Amino acid sequence: MNGYGGSILRVDLNSGTISRQPTPAALARDFVGGRGFGLYFLTREVPVHADPLGSENKLIISSGPLSGMLIPGGGKCDWTTKSPLTGGYADASMGGHFTAEMKYAGVDSIILEGISPKPVYLFIDDRKVELRDATSLWGKGAIDVEVSLKKQYGEEYQIAAIGPGGENQVLYACINHDYGRQAGRGGVGAVMGSKLLKAIVVHGTQSIPVADLDAYRQAGMALYKACKDSDGLKDWTRYGTTIVVSWCDEVGALPTRNFSAGSFEGGKTLYGPVMREQIVVTDKGCFGCPCPCGKYSRMKRYGTQVEGPEYETIGMLGSNLGISDIQDVAQANLLCDDLGIDSISTGGCIAWAIECYEKGLLSKTDVDGLDLRFGNAEAVFAAIKLIATRQGKLGVLLSEGVKRAAQKVGNGSEKFAIQIKGMEQSAYATHNATAMLVSYMTCDVGAHHNRAWAITYDLQVGRDRVAPDKVARVIWLQNFRPMFDVLGACRLQWVELGIDRDLYMPALEAITGIRRSWEDLEKVGERIWNLARLYWQREIEDFGRDWDLPAPRFYEDPPTTGVTAGQITRFEDVQRLLDMYYEQRGWDANGAPTAETLERLNLTVVPN
Amino acid sequence: MTATLRLVGPLKEYANGRSELVVPSGLSVRQTLVGLGIPPEVVALVVVNEEQQNKDYILQEQDVVRVLAVIGGG
Repeated sequence: MNGYGGSILRVDLNSGTISRQPTPAALARDFVGGRGFGLYFLTREVPVHADPLGSENKLIISSGPLSGMLIPGGGKCDWTTKSPLTGGYADASMGGHFTAEMKYAGVDSIILEGISPKPVYLFIDDRKVELRDATSLWGKGAIDVEVSLKKQYGEEYQIAAIGPGGENQVLYACINHDYGRQAGRGGVGAVMGSKLLKAIVVHGTQSIPVADLDAYRQAGMALYKACKDSDGLKDWTRYGTTIVVSWCDEVGALPTRNFSAGSFEGGKTLYGPVMREQIVVTDKGCFGCPCPCGKYSRMKRYGTQVEGPEYETIGMLGSNLGISDIQDVAQANLLCDDLGIDSISTGGCIAWAIECYEKGLLSKTDVDGLDLRFGNAEAVFAAIKLIATRQGKLGVLLSEGVKRAAQKVGNGSEKFAIQIKGMEQSAYATHNATAMLVSYMTCDVGAHHNRAWAITYDLQVGRDRVAPDKVARVIWLQNFRPMFDVLGACRLQWVELGIDRDLYMPALEAITGIRRSWEDLEKVGERIWNLARLYWQREIEDFGRDWDLPAPRFYEDPPTTGVTAGQITRFEDVQRLLDMYYEQRGWDANGAPTAETLERLNLTVVPN
Repeated sequence: MTATLRLVGPLKEYANGRSELVVPSGLSVRQTLVGLGIPPEVVALVVVNEEQQNKDYILQEQDVVRVLAVIGGG
């Protein structure tokens, strides 16, 4: 099949049985790839109410038709599972080079099921697929494992691995790849750890069939030329996502001390140019990318190096923890990567614990004797290690995410547990940015930013406005942006370099032989969005409107400092936003897709 | 007494698709943006003669200024 690796690889870890089936053409037509494939298999194959960390849950890794192709940013793959953190749908996108090798090995999706009787890693080398003993790797950091396996097999072999966080099933454990890229959110690493699967090694040499080679070359070159000609290329290459730090600080969106404010008095030392000057050694790109936004940094004080930190990590492990030294943030980043826990959720959990400690809701004994205060980097490093190893009272408490931790501690701590649907909110303070707030509230995995990054729209049209156009903007972004995760390509080239999105369509047609338009793909995106909603409803008995509410901090607790001092979104406006959103989506007042909506989207039965 | 202002990405929409404008020197970047109808808060990065500056920087003659918005996030 043009544009695809051609097979679905199924690995039963219970029995060690490995099989391949051809990728169904109807699946490619209806769900395209990546996140679409993942949700399709999750919905069809994982039993209702399966234990996320049990044998019935599956971890599905999928590439898309643009993955591994000569398309700017064709290095994305998607990891889908039932989330142990939220109990709902989890989907994490990962850059790097893994997806290209996977596709060159002829694989569109890897479906991992069951639980291995002993630690193993999956070895894929073209048609050769084996489970190999990982006893000697168990307990090692994810970066150490990658170094070790690359040494054994060679640099052309791509590795995805979990660290101790995944082994210990920390509910927001991540999967690490290419030393500093992650499938980060929702606990995909915990699911991999629950299966006793330490790593995946992949290498392939097969060609991907394309429908029209000349047209593919031309369309690919047009995309690369557009990137090269972009005025934004120089700055995005120089600073990557750290461009956002100073801007967020200026507009009051930089999470500060557990989202109690949106501007940080120590923020300037975290800005992109400061980081570039102080710690960045070189730039790093993913497969086929002309805009290497990743940064390798060296922390001289610690004698260490890391890929990063990215904006999200600077926000969540820097300002949100009151830390203003970029070397400290980068060191915390390294610990999270190697230990294999999501830096966003980790920052959210520790910030909440610090606030609890400072308010007297956690005692010195509860925090294992740490001087757990905002700005104390050493205490943060210690807390990260406790979480990843599930040691100490603090490590055990925080390893299950901030929602569960707050339910245990109580005493009002739920109000400043910054999460939605059980997922810790990523690094945008939304006290007064109503489109971004509704984006977080309705995101299909929990409080994550990348589906609909609408905060610029807030600033363009009035940040406190509560109006249908804001909701419409969020819905359009939610339908459209995740399609990059379906196609298997990075969205940065479109969204930040500003290249014309229509340039992708000739490439997609030349590769697959099927003419599609963005309007067509947005319909696929809408269908996927609604199917994810159905998944949440299916798995969680009381799922509904209350699950879409933000942390009370954003409607009850205005910042006292910074440019958003005194500003919140009133609770009645939060509810109005939801009303508008449900109406525009074609959902009922409790957030369930109506029968008419399901019929329009051909979702009245589980897709097959 | 002019400087050159380059608008990157979506900021071009504020200038009818044009990416390069000649603007008076002597004003701050912020004042210049307001004069062009560009909300200063949507601009994430100001680079003057290849050095990052803040929006209160006063434009000098023959400065080449690049302003960049973010629409995708971190």
